[in-house]
Amino acid sequence: MATVRFRGVNKAYGSTHVVSDLDLELPDGSFTVLLGPSGCGKSTSLRMLAGLESITSGEITIGDRTVTNLQPRDRDVAMVFQNYALYPHLTVRENIAFPLRATKKPRAAALKRADEVAESLGLGELLGRKPKELSGGQQQRVAIGRAIIREPSVFLFDEPLSNLDAKLRVETRTELLQIQRRLGITCLYVTHDQEEAMTLSDRMVVMRGGRMAQEGTPLEVYSEPADTFVAAFVGSPKMNLIDGGLSNGTFSTSTGLRLAVGRTGTAAVTLGVRPDDLIPAAVDDERADAQVKVIELLGPRAIVTLDAAGTELTSVVEASRLSEIREGAPVALQVRTNAAHLFAANTGQRIVGATA
Amino acid sequence: MKGSLALTVCRIALLWAAAITVLFPVVWIALASLKTPGQLNDPFLISFTPTLNAWRAVLSSDILAAAVRSGIVAVTTVVISVVIGSMGAYAIARYRAGGTLTRFGMLAAQVLPPAVLVFPFLTMAYALRLNDTIAPVIFAHLSFVLPVVTWFLIGFFEAVPRSLEEQALVDGFTRFAAFRLVVLPQVLPGIGAAAIFGFTLSWNDLFYGLILAPGKAAILPVAIAGFNTFRGVQIGSMSAAILIAVVPVVIASFFIQRRLVQGISGGAVKF
Repeated sequence: MATVRFRGVNKAYGSTHVVSDLDLELPDGSFTVLLGPSGCGKSTSLRMLAGLESITSGEITIGDRTVTNLQPRDRDVAMVFQNYALYPHLTVRENIAFPLRATKKPRAAALKRADEVAESLGLGELLGRKPKELSGGQQQRVAIGRAIIREPSVFLFDEPLSNLDAKLRVETRTELLQIQRRLGITCLYVTHDQEEAMTLSDRMVVMRGGRMAQEGTPLEVYSEPADTFVAAFVGSPKMNLIDGGLSNGTFSTSTGLRLAVGRTGTAAVTLGVRPDDLIPAAVDDERADAQVKVIELLGPRAIVTLDAAGTELTSVVEASRLSEIREGAPVALQVRTNAAHLFAANTGQRIVGATA
Repeated sequence: MKGSLALTVCRIALLWAAAITVLFPVVWIALASLKTPGQLNDPFLISFTPTLNAWRAVLSSDILAAAVRSGIVAVTTVVISVVIGSMGAYAIARYRAGGTLTRFGMLAAQVLPPAVLVFPFLTMAYALRLNDTIAPVIFAHLSFVLPVVTWFLIGFFEAVPRSLEEQALVDGFTRFAAFRLVVLPQVLPGIGAAAIFGFTLSWNDLFYGLILAPGKAAILPVAIAGFNTFRGVQIGSMSAAILIAVVPVVIASFFIQRRLVQGISGGAVKF
């Protein structure tokens, strides 16, 4: 168990900067998720912590040890790879016990410990099987077992759920969280799936182009995205982002869409509205802001795609309201009170308080 | 369905033609080894009373000792080739050691006529007082077996996911331990095939043995060539000796056919 710190970490291949000035602290026992699109440097950051990639400049510490130049084996970290990387020639028991072979622990004791770990993960029946005889979910659990057997200082996960089908992914996610809570080991988890990031993390780091775009609790990131990139990346369905101008509390676009946003000031802005905060109401043709294009029913709620004077917007409404909102129907739009996000049109940065 | 039937007939006919082409010389030699010198003049004589005279002559000659020497040469060559070749192939597969040039350049040794290399080998053997022993033959065989084995293994190493090795590094092992405990076991089938392939290459080679160890340390192909005497070719005995030489190769080839294709096609066949 340990606190992990990245201090001014850079990674460059020649003139290509993969990770730039990463300053990050993973508190002891925390579950931090690195989130971002592919190529944003999140996996590289994880691999630098594991020691699988060298660091161009900066420092990484685990607890009070500086590990910047240590070999992976000396860092006391465990890792679960996207493809699980189970050793194909070893049985489940031998796979889980494998890290203990490096510690000179007696073989019998190591195998006994592996049996206990396997039992705790519900793999008791499968001890003698080879990885290729296991389902994806079982392989995943073996990989987790192999990671926890050594009780490392830090767990690293590189998109460990992306090879599972959707249902199993949700189940395994919960299991993973329970294991981490039980063991209280510091966790760094990489994913491009924002839902995974939201549900798993107690701290979330959104990365873009090798830099940290935002860091905070999932709620902070969701409710106060630092810029339009984070706003669009976190949350599903995606936040509506509309370019336009703000004056006297009303946001308007060049195409004539006008929305009351309850913010003062005058500026060129990008308006961000979560689909849940965009409320359509059926009206007559003359007062309509938009027209309903498509309705996708999710069960209790539905995703409504709207055409507002040429701008496509998304709204999520209760299924019960679908009696008034139909495909092709004209609707008036309203932004929920205090739910408008404003971003500077030129920089994309969040505007806090009144605009200048 | 008529077309597919014709196709099947065609295919079977072709396969038979190929099989007969390959097997005919072997059968011919097997028959020749059982004939008297007089019967040998009639290659198409199928029905005759077999005689074991040729076999007796061969078994009482130096042929078996030569076969043992050939075995020693081939096994030594293969062991050295596999140990060095697997490490070399790993380096080339993982680190692009030497770039693409090494990878394909090392096959250039195969294009080089053996005659170019044999003279330096002979001179060195003389200088070291090793001429007419099997030692220089082993070195000469290494010159073509090692590159082939290395090249053969590259594809197998490339098929091992990199994450497997990285996992072992994170699990607390050194690079070499990761290679030995994790990577090597994945390529064992390839190494087995490469070993057998290398064995047959060495076992079948006549040229280097003929020049470097023509006398008392003659290897099997040289000893077989020895049946071509000043009194003419002793076809019966030679046929028996050839059969002795062919058997290990046929058995070996049978066991590695699939891996052989995989090695040559660069690990493309899934295992």
